[in-house]
Amino acid sequence: MKRLLIAALAACLLATAAAAQPAPIHIGSTLPLTGNLAFFGQHSRWGTELAVAEANAAGGVLGRQIVVDYQDNQCNPAVGVSSVTRMLSDKTEVALLDGVCSSVILAIMPVVQRAGVPLVVANGSATAIADASGAGGNIWTFKVNPSDASLMEALVGWLQQNGKADGIGFLGEDTDYGRAGVQAFEQALGKRGLKLASVDYYQQGTADFTTVLTKVRRADPKSLALYSVGADFQNLIRQYFGMGLTIPLTGRLLTDQIPPEILTSGRLNGGTAVQPYTAEIDLPANHAFVAAFQKMHDAPPNLLSYEAYETTRVLLDAIKRSGTAEPAAIRDALTKTRLQSVLGAEIAFDDHNLAHNNAVIVMIKDGKVQVVGLSKT
Amino acid sequence: MDAIYLLQLLLNGLVIGVIYALIAMGLSLIFGLLGIVNFAHGEFYMLGAMLSFFAVTDLHFGYWTTILAVTLVACAVGLLFYHLFLASLRPADFERSILLTLGISMVLQNGGIFLWTVTPRMVPTPWSYTAVTLGDLQLPLLRLFTLGIATAAFLALYVLLSHTLVGKAMRGLSQSRDAAAMVGIDHRRVARLAVIIGIGLSGLAGATLAPVYSVQPTMGAAFVFKAFAIVIIGGLGNIMGAAIAAVMLGVLESLIGGFFPLTLADSAGFIAMILVLLFKPEGLFGRGVRV
Repeated sequence: MKRLLIAALAACLLATAAAAQPAPIHIGSTLPLTGNLAFFGQHSRWGTELAVAEANAAGGVLGRQIVVDYQDNQCNPAVGVSSVTRMLSDKTEVALLDGVCSSVILAIMPVVQRAGVPLVVANGSATAIADASGAGGNIWTFKVNPSDASLMEALVGWLQQNGKADGIGFLGEDTDYGRAGVQAFEQALGKRGLKLASVDYYQQGTADFTTVLTKVRRADPKSLALYSVGADFQNLIRQYFGMGLTIPLTGRLLTDQIPPEILTSGRLNGGTAVQPYTAEIDLPANHAFVAAFQKMHDAPPNLLSYEAYETTRVLLDAIKRSGTAEPAAIRDALTKTRLQSVLGAEIAFDDHNLAHNNAVIVMIKDGKVQVVGLSKT
Repeated sequence: MDAIYLLQLLLNGLVIGVIYALIAMGLSLIFGLLGIVNFAHGEFYMLGAMLSFFAVTDLHFGYWTTILAVTLVACAVGLLFYHLFLASLRPADFERSILLTLGISMVLQNGGIFLWTVTPRMVPTPWSYTAVTLGDLQLPLLRLFTLGIATAAFLALYVLLSHTLVGKAMRGLSQSRDAAAMVGIDHRRVARLAVIIGIGLSGLAGATLAPVYSVQPTMGAAFVFKAFAIVIIGGLGNIMGAAIAAVMLGVLESLIGGFFPLTLADSAGFIAMILVLLFKPEGLFGRGVRV
């Protein structure tokens, strides 16, 4: 009997202690955790995990721990809409992060608008996202990473200065990401009286690129802009190299994912790309981020992890400033964001809820990736 | 028209077709003998590729040793797969077999993601970026090896099915299980062998293609749906039909991709499959285990 009383007392004490803990703040995250872009989803998740771990280690936000509910969208708009609808129906999520894939983000934007929950985009780059957000559009969607239009404007401007903007061929995935890339390129080139020499798309998940690369070899553009990610990019770059192609590469060339033996061969020298981020940026805040990421995930960050880290910081900062962690208050706080970026610029949203961070122009020289400049988007 | 360009497209298409054939033959054999559509076939291909990655990077196996070792392991996995999951299935359990293999496919793919993450891996070989040049034509050496290995696998299967007693038993069983039993064919032993060979072929495909494509747990999906289309076009269970349909599809895709947007090429196989199902449901070369 005595033991029973002690056990009951202990249970009561534990329950009281648990009740005294403030309830955590729940954030939803929709990502491709399976499928061809799962690698990108994984890195995006890792970036968010680091930002959340840092915030929780510092006592949480508004004195509450942050919990992120990660849902797989397979980079499929229908799956994304379904998972986001399910998350929002619970009414526990105060905000949502990303989607990684532009197609998914564009599909879930009306859902968050109806629900009145902020969506903060970290990775999707389609210009249409910002075009449809903010004044006169979806006031619940915010985009932290640069849009394709601003990235390509920065890249084409640099290429023109160096006499390389003429005769560019385009090869990209047949998604909103790739299509937005073509549109952004054509827009930036059109301003300068130029146009793309050729345009080719491939289906996401393509393993064999020999046919399209044979076609590119025949078209022989002066340079080839790539809009390819994940396992597709790995296959594409290996087959490009294996087929002995030497056309200089540009566009959203993922320099951090080029196999070392290809990069150091020197055959890609002269390749010029624009990225929202590269780990080589020589700034103290970036060194700290790279070291913390490496320590937590035993891998270096890529642009997806950086974007998700920065975006999660923006959201957590807004939750803190909102004072209440209510969706509408967070949305209002987001519009007033003024946060120092890891890349040095100040993150603030314009009328279309688009932030204008620095973009990085990188070049491959002597078999190494070198940062040749930061350009405000 | 540029003749060299056309020849290069034909050569590319031939190699892509042979890659399809390597994956589709095992699928076709298992269907022909057991009447089971193995939805987990792509995941066995993935496991073969993943195993090759670890054999090369951790155990420092050579290219040929890896292919041999992985194929043998895949055969052993096939034996296990048969006894654990397929042996209890009856011919009437078609729906059950679909759900079962679909479930196994999901477990293997998600288990792979859990264990190895989705980071694309590359299998290094001394010939990863070596190409053979014939005048203006070019073919990466590893693809040439793939062409040779797939052709050898097809010939071995052809000899087994057409010139051996067990091959005759397989063909007999695919035609009539009851008649085969009446003449003393042990259908379990023959079916078990078919699964061992079928999964062994998917392991061989994984090991052969691991240095050609990036390796990651979701890689099976890229080929397995095309393999299904090929098996239907060639005639369910018809090995020769699957091989011919695979090469035809590879060449067709290459030509379409070479002269039209590449995205049209990807739908070619499925358009062909729909047409076959509409006008020749038994497939271009007829059903049943044939050579």
